[in-house]
Amino acid sequence: MNDKETKLEKRKTGIVGLDNVTGGGLPSGQATLVLGQAAAGKTVLGLQILARAIERGEGGVFVTFEESPAQVRRDAASFNWGPKLLESDQWQLIDARPRFGAEAAGEFDIEGLLSIVGASIAKTRATWIVFDGIDQLLQYQPDPRVAIDQVRRINEYCEDNGWTLLLSGKATGDSMAPAHLEGIEFLLSATLVLSARMVNQQLNRSLRIAKLRGSGHVADELPMIMDDEGIQLPYNEHLPVDEVVASNERLSSGISRLDKLLDGGIYRGSSLLISGRPGTAKSTLAGSFAEAAARRGERTLYVSFDEMEAPYVRNLSSVGIELRGPIKSGLVKFEDLSAYALRVTEHFLVLRRLLDSFDPHCLVIDPVSALLKASGTEGANMATEHLIDLVRRRGITTVLTSLSGVEDPEGEATLGQVSTLADSWIVLDYNVRGGERNRSLSIVKSRGSAHSNQERELLLSNKGIDLADVYEYGSEVLMGTARAAREREDAAARRRQQLERRQRRLDIERRMEQVERDRQILVAELELEEDESAETDHLERVQRQQIKQRRDPGQESSLTPAVSDEGEPL
Amino acid sequence: MNAIRQQSGEAALPVLMLFVTGSAPRSQRARANITHMLERLNCQSVQPYEIDLLEQPEQGIKHSVFATPSLLKVSPTGEVSVLYGDLSEEDRLRRFLSDLDSDL
Repeated sequence: MNDKETKLEKRKTGIVGLDNVTGGGLPSGQATLVLGQAAAGKTVLGLQILARAIERGEGGVFVTFEESPAQVRRDAASFNWGPKLLESDQWQLIDARPRFGAEAAGEFDIEGLLSIVGASIAKTRATWIVFDGIDQLLQYQPDPRVAIDQVRRINEYCEDNGWTLLLSGKATGDSMAPAHLEGIEFLLSATLVLSARMVNQQLNRSLRIAKLRGSGHVADELPMIMDDEGIQLPYNEHLPVDEVVASNERLSSGISRLDKLLDGGIYRGSSLLISGRPGTAKSTLAGSFAEAAARRGERTLYVSFDEMEAPYVRNLSSVGIELRGPIKSGLVKFEDLSAYALRVTEHFLVLRRLLDSFDPHCLVIDPVSALLKASGTEGANMATEHLIDLVRRRGITTVLTSLSGVEDPEGEATLGQVSTLADSWIVLDYNVRGGERNRSLSIVKSRGSAHSNQERELLLSNKGIDLADVYEYGSEVLMGTARAAREREDAAARRRQQLERRQRRLDIERRMEQVERDRQILVAELELEEDESAETDHLERVQRQQIKQRRDPGQESSLTPAVSDEGEPL
Repeated sequence: MNAIRQQSGEAALPVLMLFVTGSAPRSQRARANITHMLERLNCQSVQPYEIDLLEQPEQGIKHSVFATPSLLKVSPTGEVSVLYGDLSEEDRLRRFLSDLDSDL
């Protein structure tokens, strides 16, 4: 045996994700078994592979054992590759449904079927052959062992004739295989298992490669979605990028004080998680980042979950963040999505397609926690993980916001995955004191940066966002009115001190004035006193002379005649 | 002689058609089993019209017969029924042929 004989040749299915996980497609020149419950997507898988082959200019044969040809055409028509497939004459649709009321009276062969298909292949030059619902025919086989033998026979025939065939069968109950085909899941060299399960009232599809002999493959259950473009494996579609360049460039958040706290901004190509309770200004911060990116002339894909574009942009505008201009000029592509409308894997696919088509420098998802509503927690974590991985590989700087519960302000539990993966994490919160709520901001982590560990106050005004200097009061950080009050108190104290000093000087001056006034009064009193004294002396002198005259009347008084009080001459 | 039943407006179909694939063992057994049963039912006049899908694969598509051997029966009303297998289960074959009139 040489290598060429043993090496498994593969044929592209044209479903990128499937070709990626199988390492190039399904075994060429062999049969691949496709198992799954009803409505798991078996028929669509076959049709899609055929449609892709026909797009490449190849041919195909589709043999239906269960659905009517009209139903198969309707199935195809509901996908965007359907019309082209239905128009093409490069393939043949064979109705091989067992006749109604058919019975079996002994064992039968399928050589006739193979002969019929062989004739069709010759006509269409088919590269892919689909036997859809083979169990519908083989169930007539009285002996299950014969039925299983015939599956083996089909594969043998494929190998002999170089057919690449997809053989699908409906799984029943818990078993992977159709009821009468127990054990066939490991008969062929390749087996795919499709499933569709309800998780949280939503249909979750998956594809699993149960077997792929002689080839490395992903063995996990891979989330699968079925939308307009048919079956896809969203997480397995992107081609791996070899090298991720770690940039040293810092990007501004649009808030200079925040940039300072982050040691200059967030690194280009890194991811920033902003978490917080409702109303803590997460969107405002995210909007500021997008606005700053637009100012640098960079494209931002802005994804809003559950809030429409118009009110969102208006609300940002009320705090001084203008996205209307960048949206108009095409620098910001705003996408409002409804979290409930799609499954989480579908959301991932939508986002990936947007990233593909818009090729942005920056991405904002507000809030990424909305994905939790879209499906089971597992699915959301996987989606965000893949998303962060994807943007990191593409060097897209990403801002994700996350709503944390009112009861759980840190919100670490709700999005543990994201907070672990994100390069930087800012937690916004309220600080309730003195009957008011004040927004606060703290940087929980920032990889590769020295960053402040202190909580700041976040101020919103119609001019935008600003961070207030924290007011340290002992071991406390004060905010809002408490901060303002403290500031006012201090200012008042200083003013009071000055006032007191002036007052004291004035007091002294006033006291000096008072003393001066008192002195003048005393001077005046003194003068008065002196005047009075002089008068008294004079009167006494006069009186003494009068007394002397009375005692000696012959002496003429030279002085004023003395008059008594009663006016009588004395 | 092949018994032909006339259908209104449509091409005549043989009453019985046996779809086989060459000389495959099950096809051989079916040939023997149907001949034997027709003899026992005293219907020797009815000869199944044999179609070999290895030679005429398009006949399989035309009659929606993909398993071989298969016995296809066209009733007087034009109704078509099919019996898959090598016809080794006598009871089933007998029941399948029960409305076959010996007047043909």
